[in-house]
Amino acid sequence: MSGQPVTLTIDGKRLTVPAGTLIIRAAEELGIEIPRFCDHPLLAPVAACRQCYVAIEGQPKLVTSCSTPVADGMAVQTQFTNDDVRDAQSSVLEFLLINHPLDCPVCDRGGECPLQDQALAFGPGESRYVEAKRTYRKPLPLSPLVYLDRERCVLCQRCTRFCDQISGERFIDVLDRGAAEQIGIAAGEEFDSPFSGNTIQICPVGALTASTYRFEARPFDVRSGESVCSHCASGCNVTVQLRRGRVVRNLARDNLDVNDAWLCDKGRFAFSQWDRDDRLTTPLLRVPGLEPVSFEEALSAIAKWASGGPVGFLAGGRLTDEDAFALSKMARVAFGTNHLDHRPAGGGDTPVGVEAAQAAGMPVTYADVESAKAIVVIGLDAEQELPILHLRIRKAARRGAKVFVVHARRTRLHDVAEHVLCRAGEEAQVLAGLWGAPEDSAPGRMAAALREAASDAVVLAGPRLGDSAGAVAWAAAVAAEGEAKFALLCRRAGDRGALRAGVHPSLLPGGRRVDADDRRAHVEVAWGTLLPPSPGLDAAGILRAAADRRLDTLFVIGCDPLRDFPDAALARRALENVEHTVVVDVAAHGMDAFADAMLPAAAPIEQDAHLTDWEGRPQRLHAVRPAPGLARPGWQIFQALAEAAGADLGFDSLASLRGEMARLLPGTDGESSPAAPPGRPEPVIGEADADVTLFSYPLLVDEGRMSNGADVLKRALERPAFVEIHPVDARRLGLTEGATARIRTDAGEVALPVVVTEGVARGSAFVPYNQPGLAANTLLSGRLISGARLEPAETVVAEAGAGASRAASGPEAVG
Amino acid sequence: MAEFEPIVTARWGGPPVVSLDAYAKSGGFQGLRRALAMEPTAVIDEVKASGLRGRGGAGFPTGVKWSFVPQDTGKPVYVVANFDESEPGTFNNRELIERDPFQFLEGLMICAYAVQCHTAFAYCRGEFVWPATIVERAVAELYAGGYLGGRVLDSDFALDIVVHRGAGAYICGEETALLESLEGRRGQPRLRPPFPAVEGLYASPTVINNVETLSFVPHILERGASWFASIGTEKSTGSKVFSVSGKVERPGNYEAPMGTTARELIVERAGGVLDGASVKAWTPGGSSTPLLTADHLDTPMDFDSVAAAGSLLGTGAVIVLDDTDCVVEAVGRFTQFYAHESCGKCTNCREGTWWSSRVLRRIEGGLGREQDLDLLHDIGRHMLFRSFCALADGAVSPIHSSLKYFRDEYEEHVRLGGCPFKAPAPEHMATRPEPPLEPEPVPEPGAGVGSRRVRLEEVLE
Amino acid sequence: MTEAGFVEDVPDVQGPVLGPEARATADRIVAKYPDGRSALLPLLYLVQSEAGWVPRQGMREVAEILGLRTAEVEAVATFYTMVKLHPCGRYVLSVCTNPSCSLLGGRRLFDRAKELLGDASDHGVTDDGVFTLEEEECMAACDKAPVVSVNYLYYDRVGESDLEAMIAAIRAGDVPEAARGGVPGDLKAVSRTLAGIGSLRDSGAVPASPPIADDAANATGAADG
Repeated sequence: MSGQPVTLTIDGKRLTVPAGTLIIRAAEELGIEIPRFCDHPLLAPVAACRQCYVAIEGQPKLVTSCSTPVADGMAVQTQFTNDDVRDAQSSVLEFLLINHPLDCPVCDRGGECPLQDQALAFGPGESRYVEAKRTYRKPLPLSPLVYLDRERCVLCQRCTRFCDQISGERFIDVLDRGAAEQIGIAAGEEFDSPFSGNTIQICPVGALTASTYRFEARPFDVRSGESVCSHCASGCNVTVQLRRGRVVRNLARDNLDVNDAWLCDKGRFAFSQWDRDDRLTTPLLRVPGLEPVSFEEALSAIAKWASGGPVGFLAGGRLTDEDAFALSKMARVAFGTNHLDHRPAGGGDTPVGVEAAQAAGMPVTYADVESAKAIVVIGLDAEQELPILHLRIRKAARRGAKVFVVHARRTRLHDVAEHVLCRAGEEAQVLAGLWGAPEDSAPGRMAAALREAASDAVVLAGPRLGDSAGAVAWAAAVAAEGEAKFALLCRRAGDRGALRAGVHPSLLPGGRRVDADDRRAHVEVAWGTLLPPSPGLDAAGILRAAADRRLDTLFVIGCDPLRDFPDAALARRALENVEHTVVVDVAAHGMDAFADAMLPAAAPIEQDAHLTDWEGRPQRLHAVRPAPGLARPGWQIFQALAEAAGADLGFDSLASLRGEMARLLPGTDGESSPAAPPGRPEPVIGEADADVTLFSYPLLVDEGRMSNGADVLKRALERPAFVEIHPVDARRLGLTEGATARIRTDAGEVALPVVVTEGVARGSAFVPYNQPGLAANTLLSGRLISGARLEPAETVVAEAGAGASRAASGPEAVG
Repeated sequence: MAEFEPIVTARWGGPPVVSLDAYAKSGGFQGLRRALAMEPTAVIDEVKASGLRGRGGAGFPTGVKWSFVPQDTGKPVYVVANFDESEPGTFNNRELIERDPFQFLEGLMICAYAVQCHTAFAYCRGEFVWPATIVERAVAELYAGGYLGGRVLDSDFALDIVVHRGAGAYICGEETALLESLEGRRGQPRLRPPFPAVEGLYASPTVINNVETLSFVPHILERGASWFASIGTEKSTGSKVFSVSGKVERPGNYEAPMGTTARELIVERAGGVLDGASVKAWTPGGSSTPLLTADHLDTPMDFDSVAAAGSLLGTGAVIVLDDTDCVVEAVGRFTQFYAHESCGKCTNCREGTWWSSRVLRRIEGGLGREQDLDLLHDIGRHMLFRSFCALADGAVSPIHSSLKYFRDEYEEHVRLGGCPFKAPAPEHMATRPEPPLEPEPVPEPGAGVGSRRVRLEEVLE
Repeated sequence: MTEAGFVEDVPDVQGPVLGPEARATADRIVAKYPDGRSALLPLLYLVQSEAGWVPRQGMREVAEILGLRTAEVEAVATFYTMVKLHPCGRYVLSVCTNPSCSLLGGRRLFDRAKELLGDASDHGVTDDGVFTLEEEECMAACDKAPVVSVNYLYYDRVGESDLEAMIAAIRAGDVPEAARGGVPGDLKAVSRTLAGIGSLRDSGAVPASPPIADDAANATGAADG
């Protein structure tokens, strides 16, 4: 698109738009809506539905405005000024309706259906069709989540074009031809894409429906609120819809800066976690059983425990920005400690300077990714960990960006990216050897692409790269060397906000280092108090201290140490041994067994707050509904707790809290990347007698508590646990596809079905973090990488593969 | 006119010229040799100067088409020969290949040289099992004879020809649908721009020419542009192989100068109407061109004259109906063809061909209503120039033209409650009561992929 | 309803359709084209030459060879009428009923064929497995109307009695010679020809690159007449 300004008139109104703009878009700028079905601004034009006809003066034929770019001096007439256009549009609607069942009263789309709306506005009113209609068996389940009703389909191909152009998951396609043309899926296959729900949302008729929403509600009896998805750090803008106070549907909200118009299936279909049965609605205090008490009572008890001795704060990655900031300040101001961390196991080998740099501003944005000429992704399975970033990388690739992935496991970028499969833990070796790599090797091509793209390159370091020795430092150094933009990604929705807020043992708000006097002083002045000057314990340290009874009180805030921390045994010892455990959370999720006090927090959809995505972009959440019972936003709890402990956080309203955040975030004096490139990394050798390097990360749809209640989603997309190994290792270890392997590490042992694939690096074995049949942290000792021994198991272990498997059961009965 | 010497059918007198030797001995490859001695652009200029227009239906000037190909894109240039002949009533490509395949291939090679293409494709209609085999064998002989491969006739020009077979889809005659098909996709037309000359096969510059068009090319190179331009009319130069079929004594292909009248083709060349009956209706260029009547028989068969008469030269395929034939039945069958061959991509064609086919069947079957005539016309109006490609325009041609010239025949069907040309109604056209509103379950993948097409045909039949 | 309920009755076969030899042929077909996906239709024909039709299993194998999703292959397979999606008779008898033929008896001929072959129309198969009957669109041989084809080799100006004789002869294993192209082979053999393999040997030529000669193959579905 050249972008030269072009001036034209539409219905006599003059406007100037960049060359290359399609007429339908130009008309939108004037507020003239031309009816359309196949057109979608994020999909290439197809001009199939023929609904958007307009006339251009001097041209004998009508043209489709979705596929015709503007030209200088062009005079366009729409249905509002041209009878021929109105006639053409009306005839298309008549055509589209001849075989349509006209079942609006029982159609989920009724009331929010472009076909219905446009038929009313522009249609002929009455059909002249008297022949029998085309009928199809329906609904046709494409997956447990997505149902297809072909009779309602207008064959606009938005769904198949989405799969082709956006997700690259071409599970559905246009089958047959002529009047029998229809959308379909291959026999025996399912729409096994984590982006399948987008096709439902962009379907302009009721042909694709969500099994979770079928016959659930009408547009006019749901209440909608704007929010931001809290499943991951992608930052997707969503509309949350409730019926009688319960969430019945999540929809993507368009935001071209962030999620375009898309949402992953987890964001769309895992919406019942806030309506779970074990929501905390009142403070609870152990006396000795947990009993409901007032906030006042609970807070004074907690303040008493916590004032007595050392405390530590474990925060999940899902706090809102406001909550994280209040927590960061409370820990320091009210309890005088830097023992707080939002990271599951500390930063591993991540230089604190790199984190500090990420805490300030937006080092890389979606727009940077989209326009990049070269993208290097290190230690990230984007589809599974940051799905919307995955889509943006694909979009960049479609526009010609060269994409490289350095990872121990092949990712779903494989069709658009060159992968450098390296043994888990050896990413730093690949990066260190990059500039000297042979030209015809993948690393060599990566180096060339980075050099060529220079500042148009983006280097993305995955959220768990810190567990790989030297890797984050090397990633940052490679970016710096090539002048590329660099981001250390985070996975969970609250991670970036917590980092910025200083829910971190070494960093204060704005990425200011605790141990840097001038920077600490900045915060001390703002807060009007002296702060502890030396770094505190990170998450692992806090857990160890709790396990060793060196902490009196452990605050567990919005997290589940038993599942989240990559050392299940340590987490359990900590919870069992620490004197007092205080839980601040939305729901109990099993922590009631350990808690001495539980404080009910409001869910993200119940708060006026912000979440900062991986880019560093804070986005507003609105309270879609009130919090249940006495539950309240975390910042209010922390403010009250501080008060109970005799401290004043200095804000008593959201406005004053935000005022303070605005003054301290983003820190203008955060650090930039580390000055000196790291030394040549030493290869990481697993335990001396290890067969392979075991590595793990959470898959998108898993047993995590955020997916609680999302049973249909799990049936569609959740896989039972497995272990993936390379064929060479499989032969060496006597393992075959489908066999059961016994995996032993220093931390534990488990038996899992074997998947043999070249999609995993030699010498590595992958297990998902949290699938049915496996909590991988029972195998880990504080990092997501571990040496492991593998051998054929004598007997098949029953628990592997138990739990929700989509092969196991059918969808809910419908219709 | 009397001295017109056939050009592309010159070798049709004897047995098919299907060996390289025989072709070379009968004067073949002179055009190619001459072309190879010229600058490629000079070849294009020669073809431009000849006035040759595409014989596949649209009549676009061939040399101009070639000149659109950019040479500076860094991508390869492709030439694709369109041997997907499927327009009802058209059969000249098939015979040109069966009788003289090297003539076509020589034309293809000259075209490839002119646009500097090194991989050319011959897209053959799937049903042409035998004609495509002839092409394959001829191509193999060309390789063996040094006419193809790294050094064409010892020149620096390298050319490979790949023979590709279609699989049964009329729409693949449309050039962008053909490219989709050749790329291993559904044969559905592409948006233009970009035009194939700029972004065609594999998003590279591509020329697509019809077999008959290419067959003329060697002669133009051999005998010169002005010789060719002297034949035919000013704007429709050269000759054309007209396919005459239907109710004539001698159906067949007849090469004649552009501008020859339909009467001459039907009466003098094809021996007149069968059994001495008289012409009721005829198509000038296949079923996609509006029907004309006995009153139009003196129309000169060239692009402009046929257009002036209210139709199109199309492929020059003359289908003759005599006064005992039912126009409604024929139009119904043509329309069934378009419904069957509609690719389904755009609304107007997909639904319009289906709807009009069913209305026509109902009228022919005796269940027509008075308002159906206007309805048919209106459905056609909504398809014409409002569909993605020209297939729907073609589908409208027989409907609109028959309503124009033979409305009384439709009215007769409605009035009689059946076909006036059949007594009693034959089995194949349903006079069985067919309540229009009885649901007729159509394409049902439930029973498997294959059944989709079965059911559609049931309905369209 | 089961999740995959809609595919329960889709005809299919077990196990691989393309054996090692056919796989090797497939590789050579793919190599013919600048972009392997262009080989999709030839590969479907290859499947048809092995199975006699194109079962889903074959589509899955083609998808795997070309790195596509099965749906992408199915989308193409269902678009084209010569890709047989159901088990087929060994001989596909096609009768043109487009006007150029119908005006000269094509429609009557098709009706007669339906009488003679019964269930074989609409892509069915006669009980003896010999015939599938298809109503064909214009076959571009209107000068020989009415036209009938057997596995796409044409028979000119076929009358009703000719048709009866043809059917009887084919049933008796004595397939009559087509007007051009010789005696049609069965659908598997013709599908080899359609796949672009095995039709060049008898020319004696060894093509330099693009066309593929396949030594293992019977030369052509259509033996020279």
